[in-house]
Order: sequence, then structure tokens, then C-alpha cells
Amino acid sequence: MDAPEHSDDFIPAALAAYGIEADEIELAVIRAAHQTLWPPVLELLDLDTSAVPLERDPDLSQAPPSR
Amino acid sequence: MSDSLDLTLRGQAAAIAAGELDPVELLEATLARIGERNPALNAVVETFPERSREMLAAAPRGPLYGVPIVIKDEWPLPWRAQRFGAAEMLAPAEPGESAPYKALRDAGAVIVGVGNMHELGASSTGNISVYGAAHNPWKLDRCPGGSSSGPASAVAGRLVAGAVGADGVGSIRYPAAYCGLTGLKPTFGRSAMAGHHMAEISTTIVSGALCADAGDCRALDSVLFGEELAAGEPRRLRIGVLGGELREDVAPGVREACEAAIEDLRRETGGEVQEVEFPELAAATLATVLIANSESLGGITPKRLNDLDPELSPLGRGLLKYRVLVPAIATIKAGRVRTMARRTLAQLFEEFDVLASPTVPAVAPPLEAPVVELPSGHLTADEANVRAGALANLTGIPAVSVPVGSSEGLPVGLQLQAAWGRDELLLDAAEAIERANGRRWVEATPPALDAEPLEA
Repeated sequence: MDAPEHSDDFIPAALAAYGIEADEIELAVIRAAHQTLWPPVLELLDLDTSAVPLERDPDLSQAPPSR
Repeated sequence: MSDSLDLTLRGQAAAIAAGELDPVELLEATLARIGERNPALNAVVETFPERSREMLAAAPRGPLYGVPIVIKDEWPLPWRAQRFGAAEMLAPAEPGESAPYKALRDAGAVIVGVGNMHELGASSTGNISVYGAAHNPWKLDRCPGGSSSGPASAVAGRLVAGAVGADGVGSIRYPAAYCGLTGLKPTFGRSAMAGHHMAEISTTIVSGALCADAGDCRALDSVLFGEELAAGEPRRLRIGVLGGELREDVAPGVREACEAAIEDLRRETGGEVQEVEFPELAAATLATVLIANSESLGGITPKRLNDLDPELSPLGRGLLKYRVLVPAIATIKAGRVRTMARRTLAQLFEEFDVLASPTVPAVAPPLEAPVVELPSGHLTADEANVRAGALANLTGIPAVSVPVGSSEGLPVGLQLQAAWGRDELLLDAAEAIERANGRRWVEATPPALDAEPLEA
């Protein structure tokens, strides 16, 4: 399911579930952001990361420790 | 005095140290130039002449003694809280001695103004700000880049020779590229961050310099790093050119200039060039956005979002509300992608010294409609720019944007990325490019500056 097909339902429902209000302009912005971001988010969710080593608080100032 | 205003940052510092330039006169001339040029640029959102004069009077004879600097509206000063370019911030902000302020003060520099920025640091364009947009000195109707729009516009407009910005998702490098400057995004954790409202929670943001050339960045970043960034001469540089859309989906003029600069770098260092793929790039780009966007949400409540300042832009309000809707699993996955990307980079940096790509795939778009035309079609500048800009923030590696050409009368930037802690190598490589092209692009002056006063 891509973003344009479900955003009309998803966005108002999700905002309502959180109790977040949005005016028409904000809703237009949210829909546009959703249409851009959601397809790659779905691709990310499909990405198999089960083999990726777990890292707690990686030290971003250095290369990762070798395996 | 106008000649001294057009010196490099290290030229100003050297002239003052040699007694050839009076820092008091330089400060007053800088303030006068800001008064003359800033109405057209809107690069500097606040000056405080008495504070600046006091800072100079108390300045130690440090490496930047008497040198005027602009600092982005992202850092608190003892007399001014940052506003983050916005009518309302998500975090509390108070005046204070941020680490960049202390580093500049202790180096003898003089903060002459606060640089404009994109609202909440949320875009690569700089076209939205509570102060109104800053303008690109090369073409005043074009975006200066974001989010460090004001620092870039101030240096490119020769208001000052150096400025301090911040880079959370490309926010130093995009404006450096759009404005024809050199901008270093340091290795995560290497540059001064304390006092930033996100310092304790952000895993992407760093402070860094925007200057005309790599030598000036070296001088200013040495102050921000608290250590001398030694110069070297890279030999037999192993240059990886990032392929895929970073190479193919680029405006022709940008691609041509970047390829010429890569060849310059290869020739100047006696190096070698090889195309390289980064298979997780798209996922890494998204992961960066998800992580950077989620890290600011800890203090958010639905009520807070419902009570946002109406002066915040509709775009800013909408995007803040949308961030809440992104599922947690996506951000958790983004963390896994970060690990993958860091491991891939660690392997790549065993084979390559630097990874090259255009900093941004097209020159600065219009302020009114920041859309770029690429071979794949029209994209918003933010969608296009984040492709190359995000990886360094996700993984912590340093990256620099170097001015390497011109297209449509606007600057082109080449990005070089290196392994963790090799910030000095990036500046060395930038200087090698400068030597190879005779410093043509770091010494280029926006034509609009020939008109006094600038006309918006």
C-alpha cells in the first residue's frame, strides 16, 4: 500500500489518536511529507536487519570495532 | 580598510598579530560593512556593537585575536539565547557560555553578529526563518543553503571572513556548496558542542566552520576542536567516487565541475580514482532523517504541538506534527542501518582515503520555489540534497564541501568524506584542489558585491 492510497485515512486517524490538532495547511504539509517519506519507510521496514550486529550506544567518533 | 575586510581569516589574524592592522578599526569597519550589505543579504540577524567592543577589549592574544566572526543562531551567547531561526523552539533556551563561544573568546576572536538560519534547522535551503530568509550573495533571489544560511551568506558576502555553523544533516556543507565556500563537518564529537540545546541528545549535530578556503577552515576549526589541525600534503590519494544516483542524477554543470575537480585532486596528489558503490545509501539517508527528527521529540507532548506558536511557519508546524506519526520500529531499524553503514564505511576506508561526490546535485534554487531539475526530473532541493549529505551525520565521519566550479553563474561544491578522525586529511585534500585550480574558486567573488550598496 503506498502513501497516496491510505494517507487520507491514516493521517487524520493517527493525529486524532494522539489528540493532535492540525489545520488545513498543516494537514496538506503532513500529507506531502507522508507521500515522500512513507514509501521509503516501508522499504526500510522490509529490510532484513536480523544479521546486523547489535550495538549499544555506538561511539560515533570512531570506526566501529572490528567483528 | 575595505581591503582588510576582504582578507582571508588567517590574513586578518596575521595582519593584526604583525601590528599591520588595528583590530579596533577592523571591528568598526566590519560593523559598518554589515550595516551596508546586510539589508540585502539578511545574513546577520543581530549585532551587538558594545558587546563586540567589550569582547575585543578583553580578548587574549590568541590565534584569532581581533578577528570578527559570525556565529549561527543555534548557539547561546552570554547576552543572548539562541532562537534556532524560529518563533518557538522545542527545547528551553537561555543565554549562556556555549562551548563555541568560549572557544572563540579564548582564541581572541570577536563575535560581531548572529547568523540567520533555516527555521528549526529543518531544511537544506534556508528559505524559511523567523527573521526572513537570508539571501545568496551570488544571486540574491537564490537560496543560500541551510540550515547555516546566515553564516554562509555572511562569509560569501564578505561581511566577515569566518563563521561558525552547525551540521546535523548537511547543514554546513549545503550552504557552503550553494555559496561557494569551504565548510567542514567535523568527525562527531571532535568540535565544541556544549551549550547547544541538543548537545546531550543529538547523535548527528556538530559545530564547524564556514570560510572562503580550507586554510581558514583549518584555523577556525582548530579553535573549535581545541587542538591544532596540522597541515599535510596528501600523496597517492586513493579517491573513491560514489556512484549510483550520487553520480548519475546530477545536473550536467555540477557533474562536469565535480569530475574536473576529482581529476585535479588525482593529478595533484599522484593518486588514483575508482568508482565505488554504497549499497545501503538510500536506507542510510532515510535512517539519518528518522534519527535526527526523532531525537528532538523527547520533550514533546500532543498539547505542546497543539499550542505551537502561530508565528512558526505552517511548514514547520506540519512537519513537527508529522514526526510524531513515524512508527518507532522505523527509528529502531534506522539504528540497525546506522550500524550497517558504519561497517560498510570502515571497510571502504581500508581501500580509499576519501569518498567524493557532488555536495549537492544542483546549484542553488530560487528562494521562492526551492526545486531542482535533475536528469530524473524535478525534486525538492531537500529531497535531492539529503542523498549526499546525510551519510556523514549518520555514521560520524567527517566531510568537507569544497568550491570547485560554477554553473548558471552559481557555485558548485564537491564533497569529500574520510574516515573517523581524518578531518585534517579532508582539509589537506581541499588545499590540494585549491592548488590544482590556482585557487580560482575560493577567490571568486560574487558579482553582486561590486554593486554598493547591494540591492535586494
